[in-house]
Amino acid sequence: MWQYTLKRIFQGIITIWFIATATFVAMHSVPGDPLSSERATTPAIRANLEERYGLNKPILEQYALYIGSFLKGDFGISFTQRNRQVNDIIREHFPVSATLGILAVTFAALGGVLFGALTALYRNRLPDTIIMFLVILGISVPSFVFAALGQLLLVNINNLLGFSLLPVAGWGTVAHMLIPALVLGMSTMAYVTRLMRSSMLEIIHSDYIRTAKAKGLPAGRIFTRHELRNAILPVVTVLGPAIATITTGGFVVELVFAIPGLGRFFVQAVQQLDYTVIMGTTVFYGAFLVTMVILVDLLYGWIDPRVRVQ
Amino acid sequence: MTSPLLEVSNLHVEFDTYGGTVKAVRGVDFHVDAGKTLAIVGESGCGKSVTVQAMMGLIPMPPGRITQGSARLRGQEILGRSTVDGREVRGAQIGMIFQDPMSSLNPTMSIGDQIAEPLLVHRGYSAAQARARAVELLEMVRIPEAARRAKQYPFEFSGGMLQRAMIAMAISCKPTLLIADEPTTALDVTIQAQILDLLRDLQNETGMALILITHDLGVVARMADEVAVMYAGRIVESGSVEDVFYRSSHPYTVGLKAAMPSNDPQQQHELRPIEGSPPDLFSPPVGCAYAARCPHSMGICQQRPAQLFPVGDAHYARCWLQHPESPHRPAELSLGGHHE
Ligand SMILES: Nc1ncnc2c1ncn2[C@@H]1O[C@H](COP(=O)(O)OP(=O)(O)OP(=O)(O)O)[C@@H](O)[C@H]1O
Ligand SMILES: [Mg+2]
Repeated sequence: MWQYTLKRIFQGIITIWFIATATFVAMHSVPGDPLSSERATTPAIRANLEERYGLNKPILEQYALYIGSFLKGDFGISFTQRNRQVNDIIREHFPVSATLGILAVTFAALGGVLFGALTALYRNRLPDTIIMFLVILGISVPSFVFAALGQLLLVNINNLLGFSLLPVAGWGTVAHMLIPALVLGMSTMAYVTRLMRSSMLEIIHSDYIRTAKAKGLPAGRIFTRHELRNAILPVVTVLGPAIATITTGGFVVELVFAIPGLGRFFVQAVQQLDYTVIMGTTVFYGAFLVTMVILVDLLYGWIDPRVRVQ
Repeated sequence: MTSPLLEVSNLHVEFDTYGGTVKAVRGVDFHVDAGKTLAIVGESGCGKSVTVQAMMGLIPMPPGRITQGSARLRGQEILGRSTVDGREVRGAQIGMIFQDPMSSLNPTMSIGDQIAEPLLVHRGYSAAQARARAVELLEMVRIPEAARRAKQYPFEFSGGMLQRAMIAMAISCKPTLLIADEPTTALDVTIQAQILDLLRDLQNETGMALILITHDLGVVARMADEVAVMYAGRIVESGSVEDVFYRSSHPYTVGLKAAMPSNDPQQQHELRPIEGSPPDLFSPPVGCAYAARCPHSMGICQQRPAQLFPVGDAHYARCWLQHPESPHRPAELSLGGHHE
C-alpha cells in the first residue's frame, strides 16, 4: 500500500508539471500578451513593462524562470491587478470555491448512492420511475438553469414565509452554501444515481448474493455488508473526474449566487491574458484535482482488497 | 420405519419469461434420510438446481413461482417460509454450496468474516468467538495456515480452496442437511476428488445428510446411497445406487449410462450419446417427456404421462414399460417383480 501511495504521488507530480508546461505553451501561442490590453502605451513604457515582467527574455528562459518560481511556491504578481500577488488571490478565494465544491461532491455522492440503491431495490416500480425521470432532467439540464431556478425558488419561499429561510445570494454561513452546492452537484448526482443503479442491479443478481441468501442472512445485512460495498466501487472511480467537473463548473454557480470564489478571477484572467493569474490558478487547480484523484484512488484501495495488494 | 429427514412432494416450479411460462419442475417427489446421501442426476436444464433452490427459498420471484407442493424438514413445512421458520432453516439447518466457487464468495469481504457470518446471525456468537470458530472451520476443511488464510480475500484463494471455504461456511451452524449443487463441476479432476473426499469425511464426522447434484455418474457411484434421475422437470427413476445402476429400469437411465465413459477397464464400451434433445418446457409433451428420444417408445407413451411403477423395494420408475401388461420387454431394462 505504501509503495502504491508513493507511486501515485510521483505520478501526480509528473502530471502537475505537465499541466504547467501545457498551460505555458498554450498561453504563449495565443496572439497578444497581457500588455496589449493596456491603453496608451508608448513603446518606451511597453519596453519598461516587458523588462519588469521578463517578457523580453527568450521563451526558454521565461519557462525556466516560471518553473523555478513555482518550485518556490511563488506564482508572481498579477498583470491586471498590479498590487496583488497571485498567491493572495488564491489564498483568499480558493477556500470558498473548495468549500462549495467539496460540499457539492458530497451531496452528489451521498445522494447518488442513496437514490441509485433505491431505484435498484424498487426496480420498475413507482420510486424507480420517478427518480429515473428526475435523473434524465438532472443530466440534460445545464447547471445555470438549475442555479437560476434554485434562486427563484428561494426568493419565492422566503417571500411566502415572510422571513429569510435561506439567503438568496452571498457567502459566509452554512446557510449560504446549501442551495448553491446542491445546484452545483445536481448533474453529478444524476450521473452517480444512474451508475449506482446499474451497478446495484448487477450485484443483486450475482452468485455471492445468492450465497448470502443461502446463508440465511437478513435482508438488511445483505444490503449493507454485501451489496452496498461492492456496488459503490464503480461510483468511487468516477468521483475523481466528478470533482474536476464540479470545481471547474463552479464558476456559473458562483456568478449567479454572488459567491466570491476563484472561478471569477480565473475567467477574467483568461479574457485579459493575465499570464501570472492564469498560470497560478491553473496549476493550483491542477494540483488540487490531482490530489483529490489520488485520495479517491486510495479510498478505492481501502474498499477493494484486490487493489490494495497489487 | 422412521420418517425421513427431508420429504419433498409434488413440487411444481414455473418461470414467467418473454417466451411464455417455463414449467421447470413439474411434480417432483423425493426424500432424504438422516445422514444419507441422495444424488440427483440428469441433463443440463432438467430442473435439478431449481428443485433445490425452491427448497432454500432462492428462486427469484418474480419471475419464478412455486405453484404446488411441499418440502418438510422433520415434518415441518419449509417451502415459502423464508421469513418465519425460513431464517432458521437457511444457513442453519440446511447449508448449501454452489457450482462456481470463484463467483460465489463476496470479493470485498475476508474469507474468515464470511464464514463467521452465519454464526453471528443464527447462533448469536460474539465477533471474537465467531472469528475464532471460523479459523477452526477452515482447519476442518483442511486449509493449511488457517489463521492467516482467514484474513485473506477470495481473490487470494484457488478454486479448490474457495470451495473448501464455501463448505466451511455452509457447515458452520452444523446443519442436518447439506445441499451441494454440482460442487466440483468447475474444478479440475484431482481437486474434484479431494472435495468429494472432504464432503464424505465431514459427513462421517457430523452425521449430516447430503443432496449432491451432478452430471457425473462416476461421482454418484462413489458418493451416493440413493439416486434420483431427473428428466424434463420430473424424477423418472429413483432407488438405491445398486438398483439404479445395476437394475436400471428407465430407458433414460440406460441412455445416461451408455453415454458415460467408464473408468473400469472391464466395462469399457463405445460411448453412445442420447439422440435428440430434451423437450421444450414451455409446452411439455402430453405423454412421457422422454418418448421422442426413447428407443422403446410405444403408442401409449405419446398419449399419457407415465405413472410411477414400483420396480423393487424402494425402487421406482416412471415408464409404461413397467406396466404389467406392457407388450415390450427390452432386455437391457430391469423390469418389476410382477413380470416374473
Ligand atoms: N430465473 C429463471 N428464469 C427463467 N427460467 C429459468 C430460471 N431459472 C431456471 N430456469 C429454467 O428452468 C429450467 C431448469 O433449470 P435448472 O437450472 O434447474 O437446470 P439444471 O438441471 O440445474 O441444469 P444444469 O445442470 O445446467 O445446472 C431451465 O429450462 C431454465 O431455463
Ligand atoms: Mg444447475
